[in-house]
Amino acid sequence: MTTNQAINESGLTPTTAVQEDNSLGLSPTMAALKRARSHYGLKIGLGILLVMAIFALFAPWLAPHDPYMQNLPMRMLPPVWGEGGQWQYLLGTDHLGRDYLSRLIYGARISMTIGIGAATVGMIIGVTLGLIAGYYGGWLDQAVNFLVTCQLAVPSLLLIMALVFVIGQSVTVVIFVIGATHWVFYLVVTRSATLRLREMDFVAAAHAMGCSKFQIAVKEVLPNLANQIMVIFTLEVAVAILNEATLSFLGLGIPSPIPSWGLMIAEGKQAMFFQPWLVVLPGIALFVLVIAINLLGDGVRDVTVTNRRN
Amino acid sequence: MLTFILRRGLMAILVALTVSFGTFALFHYATDPAQTIAGEDAPQEMVDEIRKQYGFDRPAAVQYFDWLGSALTGDFGESYFWKQPVVQLIVDHAPVTITLALASLCVTVLIALPLGISAALKPNSWVDRFALSTAVSAQAIPNFWLGLMLIILLAVTFPIFPVSGDATWRHFVLPSLVLGASSVPAVMRLTRTGLLDVLSSDYIRTARAKGFTGYRLIVQQAMRNALLPIVSVLAVQLGNKLGGSVVTESVFSMNGLGRLAVESIFNSDIPTVQSLILIFVLTFVLLTLAADLINAWLDPRIRMG
Amino acid sequence: MRIRTLVQSGIHLLGVVISSLSLCAYASPKDNSLVVAFSTPLTTVDRLYSIQREGLILSRLTDDGLFYVNPDTLEFEPLAAESYQWINDTQLDIKVRNDVRFHDGSPLTADDVVYTFEWVLDEASETSRGPVIRSWLESVEKTDTDTVRFNLHLPYPMALRDMAISIPIRKAGTYDGTRGRENAAEDIPLNGIGPYKLKEFRAGREIVLERFDNYYQASPKANPAIDTIVFRVIPDQGTQQAELLSGGIDLMMDVPPDVADNISHLPGVRRKEGNDIRIGYITLDAAGYSNPDSPFTNVKVRQAINHAINREEITRYLVRGSAEVVHFACHPRQFGCDSDGPRYPYDPQKAKALLAEAGYPDGFSFNLWAYREKIIAEAVVSNLRAIGLDVDLRFVKLNVFSKVRNDRNMETFFASYGSGGTADASASAGVHFASNTARNFTKDEELAETLLAAEQTINPDERKRLYRNALNRIAEQAYWVPMFSYSQNYLLAPGLEFPVPNDGVPRFWQASWSEQ
Repeated sequence: MTTNQAINESGLTPTTAVQEDNSLGLSPTMAALKRARSHYGLKIGLGILLVMAIFALFAPWLAPHDPYMQNLPMRMLPPVWGEGGQWQYLLGTDHLGRDYLSRLIYGARISMTIGIGAATVGMIIGVTLGLIAGYYGGWLDQAVNFLVTCQLAVPSLLLIMALVFVIGQSVTVVIFVIGATHWVFYLVVTRSATLRLREMDFVAAAHAMGCSKFQIAVKEVLPNLANQIMVIFTLEVAVAILNEATLSFLGLGIPSPIPSWGLMIAEGKQAMFFQPWLVVLPGIALFVLVIAINLLGDGVRDVTVTNRRN
Repeated sequence: MLTFILRRGLMAILVALTVSFGTFALFHYATDPAQTIAGEDAPQEMVDEIRKQYGFDRPAAVQYFDWLGSALTGDFGESYFWKQPVVQLIVDHAPVTITLALASLCVTVLIALPLGISAALKPNSWVDRFALSTAVSAQAIPNFWLGLMLIILLAVTFPIFPVSGDATWRHFVLPSLVLGASSVPAVMRLTRTGLLDVLSSDYIRTARAKGFTGYRLIVQQAMRNALLPIVSVLAVQLGNKLGGSVVTESVFSMNGLGRLAVESIFNSDIPTVQSLILIFVLTFVLLTLAADLINAWLDPRIRMG
Repeated sequence: MRIRTLVQSGIHLLGVVISSLSLCAYASPKDNSLVVAFSTPLTTVDRLYSIQREGLILSRLTDDGLFYVNPDTLEFEPLAAESYQWINDTQLDIKVRNDVRFHDGSPLTADDVVYTFEWVLDEASETSRGPVIRSWLESVEKTDTDTVRFNLHLPYPMALRDMAISIPIRKAGTYDGTRGRENAAEDIPLNGIGPYKLKEFRAGREIVLERFDNYYQASPKANPAIDTIVFRVIPDQGTQQAELLSGGIDLMMDVPPDVADNISHLPGVRRKEGNDIRIGYITLDAAGYSNPDSPFTNVKVRQAINHAINREEITRYLVRGSAEVVHFACHPRQFGCDSDGPRYPYDPQKAKALLAEAGYPDGFSFNLWAYREKIIAEAVVSNLRAIGLDVDLRFVKLNVFSKVRNDRNMETFFASYGSGGTADASASAGVHFASNTARNFTKDEELAETLLAAEQTINPDERKRLYRNALNRIAEQAYWVPMFSYSQNYLLAPGLEFPVPNDGVPRFWQASWSEQ
């Protein structure tokens, strides 16, 4: 019950009323592509995301300075349009005199790495557990259900914080801990699909032909789920990015001096009444990235999941 | 019915035990509370003395079962850091979190329901688009950052509300907005799809097609059917607010349970951490149970089991 | 920048509005009270059971010891003691004043002094300073009506310090019927002999003190100006700032320099800078505890690190205020902190050369641990990366830090030490190198012996000589990277007069409100 509610609230059901489907005669992929071309949210999201991905990938060439280069006499400079700003530092400098623009650009790398990494970890855990629980049922299903309840019963942020606190801070730890606490949606989807599949005739037929049942389940379930899992994946990337920022903001995420947007907000917080750009700029970057991913996720869902209309 | 509740209760106890043992083991092997209790400059002898006094030198299992034994008799121990009974500590901090959670729930309802309903009544209109973009934006704004921005804007530039703290109702306005905003997308989307589903159902369509004079009446009836399940979702959202309070209370420096939990983790204040986790688990189980019961009451077809 | 000016004008407005409100809302000057913010909660008001700095600040108001720390010279002078005399190196006679009264009105006697020290000596009492006191004090006895004799195991020049800083005098029988720390610390109403008496203690929230009218006039602490002193626990710096601006508190301590800079421009706040006996340093694992083959076992590597840190820039731009660069393992204001050992000026080229000489031309990887002043730790990491070292910052909370340090798993760490406010090198170099504690990352027994000898020498010149030898040795071996002394920033409500302390421990009996 609880997991179903959770999945409802995640917004996994389409929200945009899908346009009348007049793409008769087209293959499903072509139809989806056709719909994609007229989906504004998807196009905007994809566009922003591409730009940010370029920044992330080519950061060493695009950033005007080394993001780790400290220059104490130049600390806390305002952006160039502020009083005392310098052209050398377009968006000013932070508390150690590091170029803020360069750190923002490198921050895109961190956010994207964490987002994709954590969502992948979560996907692997969730899908595996879902296959096992759905296919074998019985006490294994019960055990997985117990894990889910444990996971949902403790506020996930608190759980992540405690884990990172105890294990220690690093990019890898953050990826794995966030991933390890965000797999419930994958699990629910995979489990119910596997359950449904188990009843079907062709599984029994394939079994008769000598394939192991589990192999069949994997082979048959996953392709059917690809669309749904992709949607969950996109949304989980966004969730992971926000989680990382929150963790870093609370001092338990990415360790200094790695440029993470959440960490930059935390470091600027002390001076936010007087040097507000230190807090405003990374927040905007975070907002734009997450909104782009969400638009993309919503778009992919609207485009691929059409059968829900009736 | 009774067995259902009993099973839920058993599950809750199991979950609480697992989680509390996990926390204990983690903290036992990775941190040393003695130095925190003694202070950073405390000489070695003093730290050793404290370790002995508090029994940190005993085997982990002994310490855990000692705590568990007392907890079962209702004695949740004393906070290492605050030197107060944990129960007292929780009683002191709970009102802030409860007030915050309820106030933010009101914010959620006041924003999400009207938006969702108007969006569903006129799908694909500008209202619908506005509602959806609100949801998408609210989902993308980092919660803590929204808090900081509201502080800069509404507490400093235009000093309408206090910067931080929890002394008066005015202190709760901004935090409730922040925490409430985080649930708006989910509740709004659910309202909208729920209502859309009902509105497109056959009997309404028929009524509409026939130009049935009581159309408005039926829409109202439909809305009631669509909205009641949201009550159960709100119950779960209320539980989520507990987790959200961790961040919001830190941003606004409010002395609630969320912040207490964070500080206790930072101080290896194991008795407090343990008890807080028990409370969180219990709250979650109670709220989901409530949600399930509401659902069952609304829809007798759902079988309990 | 428009946003900035908007925000600033907003803050100014806030300041103006609030300071006009505060006159009627929380008029500290009128009722002659003083409200001070504490960042951490005090667990007990009994100094015998607390070692937090907040406890020391409070205890200097509610309690008197036999001696006290002169706020100007930082030397130890008689307080509740009328006079004292060393009979020999291990026997000290102290004459107790006869005009001192406890807060309950009863007079202080030699019996109370004997009781207090015997309680501390008793292991079962579990006082926090017990282990330290027992390390030098054998017994106490009353020799006549107002004289107490202290018998020491060994000569111990810091005896007066320990009496001044950690042992408040308690009335005979105070702890009767209690068992150890359990209830001694919490259930006994505080009955001190200090210039203020405890009116209310709400653990974790608030401590209210009231001036004690029967305080002895001969004391240098006599006749304090403030009637009521309130300590409010406000863990969050931001909240403290807001409270200060709105008149909820009158004084804020430990203000980070950036915050102090910004806030002090607002109306309604005054900034004061004071010295602090605290020093910041980096410890290098010279003993190879973390790894027997650790590069830090090589003195050249340690010297390279010393040359790599830009102490001047860090001190000038990050610590600021009255902070100074520190070259040796002690605070320059401490007795015995006098060395002619090598200094390591900032020289990244030389640092690289030394690394190459040591066999690490391409550097190596390690962690720098830290638990406070992250900004300084980050600056250090940046300096070290600049000479080609692959450093990761492990910034953690104190409980994790001390666990890893106790397990001897740190290659390097940035930390600070406040010497308990003691102006003596025994409290800095001594604490870190004299015995094999978790703070000592050398296996230098000769150094430890020198420092132990200094701690058991009464003759000041001989002590100075021993400390010089020890400090020279530490500098030659580059066991540490001593970095800077701290500066304390205080933010005060307007009209509050308060002489900033020299050792970072405020003495609020000296505070007063100026006539307005």
